[in-house]
Amino acid sequence: MENRIESPPRASDAPSIAAGVENLRLKFPGSHDLLFRDLSLQIGQGEKVLLLGPSGCGKSTLLQVLGGIIPRVTEVPMKADKLTVPESIGIVFQDPDTQFCMPYVDEELAFVLENLAVPRENMRGRIEAALHEVGLDLSDAHVPIASLSQGMKQRLALASVLLLEPDTLLLDEPSALLDPEGRRTIWEAVRRVCRQKTVIIVEHRIEEVQDWVDRVLLFADDGSLLADGAADLIFGRYRADLLRYGIWYPEAWSEAYGDGERSVKEALPVNGELKPSGRSCEPTALAALPGAGISSANLEAPESESWNTPAAASEPLLRLENFRVLRGGKTVCAAESAAVHPGDLIALTGPNGAGKSSLLLGLMGLLPHEGSCEYAGSRPSGRRELRDAAAKHAAFVFQNPEFQFVTNRVLDEVAFTLRSEAEALLRASRTGAFAGWIERRRRARPDAETEAATVRRSQACLDRFGLGDYAERHPYLLSLGQKRRLSVASAIVSDKPILLLDEPTFGQDARNAFAILDLCERLRASGHAVLMITHEMEIAERLATGIWTVENGKLSSVRATGRSRDDAIRLSERGGAR
Amino acid sequence: MKFFEPSRETWLHRANPALKLPLFVVLFVLTVLTHRIDASFYLACAFLLLLFCASGYPPWKTALLASGFALAFASASLTMILFGKGSEIWWSLGPVSISEESFYRGLHVGFRSIAFGSQGLLLVLTTSSTGLFYALMQRLKLSPKYAYSFMASIRLMPMALEELRIRRDALAVRGTGRGSFSLMRLPELYALPLLAQSIRRAQRTALAMEVKRFDTGKTRTYFYASPITWNDFAAFLLLAGTAAAALLLANGLPVFGLGDMRMDP
Repeated sequence: MENRIESPPRASDAPSIAAGVENLRLKFPGSHDLLFRDLSLQIGQGEKVLLLGPSGCGKSTLLQVLGGIIPRVTEVPMKADKLTVPESIGIVFQDPDTQFCMPYVDEELAFVLENLAVPRENMRGRIEAALHEVGLDLSDAHVPIASLSQGMKQRLALASVLLLEPDTLLLDEPSALLDPEGRRTIWEAVRRVCRQKTVIIVEHRIEEVQDWVDRVLLFADDGSLLADGAADLIFGRYRADLLRYGIWYPEAWSEAYGDGERSVKEALPVNGELKPSGRSCEPTALAALPGAGISSANLEAPESESWNTPAAASEPLLRLENFRVLRGGKTVCAAESAAVHPGDLIALTGPNGAGKSSLLLGLMGLLPHEGSCEYAGSRPSGRRELRDAAAKHAAFVFQNPEFQFVTNRVLDEVAFTLRSEAEALLRASRTGAFAGWIERRRRARPDAETEAATVRRSQACLDRFGLGDYAERHPYLLSLGQKRRLSVASAIVSDKPILLLDEPTFGQDARNAFAILDLCERLRASGHAVLMITHEMEIAERLATGIWTVENGKLSSVRATGRSRDDAIRLSERGGAR
Repeated sequence: MKFFEPSRETWLHRANPALKLPLFVVLFVLTVLTHRIDASFYLACAFLLLLFCASGYPPWKTALLASGFALAFASASLTMILFGKGSEIWWSLGPVSISEESFYRGLHVGFRSIAFGSQGLLLVLTTSSTGLFYALMQRLKLSPKYAYSFMASIRLMPMALEELRIRRDALAVRGTGRGSFSLMRLPELYALPLLAQSIRRAQRTALAMEVKRFDTGKTRTYFYASPITWNDFAAFLLLAGTAAAALLLANGLPVFGLGDMRMDP
């Protein structure tokens, strides 16, 4: 047990203990290991404490133990010599959509007051006061919760928690699923309302809280306490660990990608002590991809010659002319003229609900459209034709990777793409209906050779994405970052030239986000193009070759960032040479 | 869900759901126990009229929602008309035989299904789920545990629908539904991810509710009062009056002039 405790628990500073555990042991049913092994810590009254650590190290679980939810509400086998739980707590959870049980704002807040048996005539006043306190000034509190933005929903969650008048507030990554504006407002509200309270925070993104918390507890992968001390001390001394654990700190971007000048590789920590545990402590896509990116040769893709040769570089992979995506007969996104070339990384930005997702769905032929959308020169007319063309040229990764899984095994997930591709090819090649039918029957049982090649190729792809060891697992049992990598792997295994991503870094810790971005860079280097929806301006500024802005159902600006299409190729060649 | 917001309030909206619900149950029973075609015809007409007047929705919306009744009418009556027993055969071909008795019985069944549908739709359109559960908790001692579970699940429904759409798109992108993917696997393909998401979401919502000190054992107050007012009396008169008018018209101004449909008409 190597608890390098920087400063002893400050029993002396704080007059009384708000929450604490002594020798906590906890184990989730079905897991082999104890999550915590004799963990002890105390949190003083009025302290603002931040729990930091890699994904899956048990921070959220610990938060629930300290709040008394485990084992009172959620039953998890645990043992502790002493457990001090605050008298009254309030929790704001991560997901803005699953914290409410009523359809309207006022009803939701009233639900809390009803639970506290507050007389009806006092409710209105308290509801309005709570809303005002968190900066949610609605003219009428009787509005549907569904009509609020995600950031407003989190402030509503905070307001409902405040009605409990808790002395301790627990925040479980309250801003992880918010856009930058939502993040700013929720933390502003937290700061305003929590001056007197004890606050325990779990968060991956420390930008907004680092100057506010008094104390930081840093956890290691196995749930042991790595460090405990004043915030500035920890952030200074354990910076390397922050990077390793995927924590978003303000300089994470510039350290990973330089100021637009240095390559990814150069920016990686090179200091010896860090090396074994750098960003690749879990094999990231960067570490797992071969130096020259994904070459078409080892992917055995049948139709891959034309787009990744230098001569084809001027030919756009995707060209839009007067393209309009329709939903229920109305235009939800219109693009006058835009093109995607090999080596492009396009950041598709714009406010929520502006039509970004609809544009991507339209490109895939999943929504009706008007106008023209050319894939590598072919000009599909109808929706079905567009869908077929898109299926041939573009891979699409949804925001929630789980929705894309169709098999029960990680390996099959990748192999599925290859198998269905082979089938589609067969369908296209058949001549007469009857001959085709016979052919299909014959080929429906793949011969051992083809099957072995498919498995080999799938396994190679998994290895490249750092998923080689999980080939036999059920896709649902992977971690969040692994799930996303798998969804990308199964999308691009057949070497489609365009990759469409819907907010790939959203809600991810820094480690997973950088792994995905590194992967995009690699794909770019091998002549693919990436088109991603993102709210992260850093991606747009540091990595993108072009920024498309969607506003009010219109692609309002298409602008190049000045970043060259082939600099990724150049950089990777340089990186490979070294 | 803007569609399901009434444009104006009527007595029925303002009536206490805890009283309105039993009232409608009585109407349902009355409709089921109607055996004369004149009565069922007038009941159908009267409640269809009441639906348009008192639902608080613009006529086009009501018409749109009520258009389903045509299907209910057709399906209920056609089976009876085409295959029902009877002695006075009008037309027959193979197993199909239309007799006078079966024809009128078919119409009778059809009218009853329209009356039934109108009453049900009227109840649904004039009652908010929140109002209903608050009334049931306060007036009929429904356990808050069930009431809030239902209300929470209603909130989760649109999210599950949205996910169904996403899953459909995702499967299209992955290229399922063609080739070796048979229809047999379809339920599994949809059920697994949607259930996984829904169960997780429900679990998280339940945890959030518990943290907000939702405890079924304690006494609680209620945000919405559930009083008995003159509106309830008005709603009672309106519904009872409509039913009575239909039955009186059936007696005084019969259209078909036939007897009990269970007997020989």
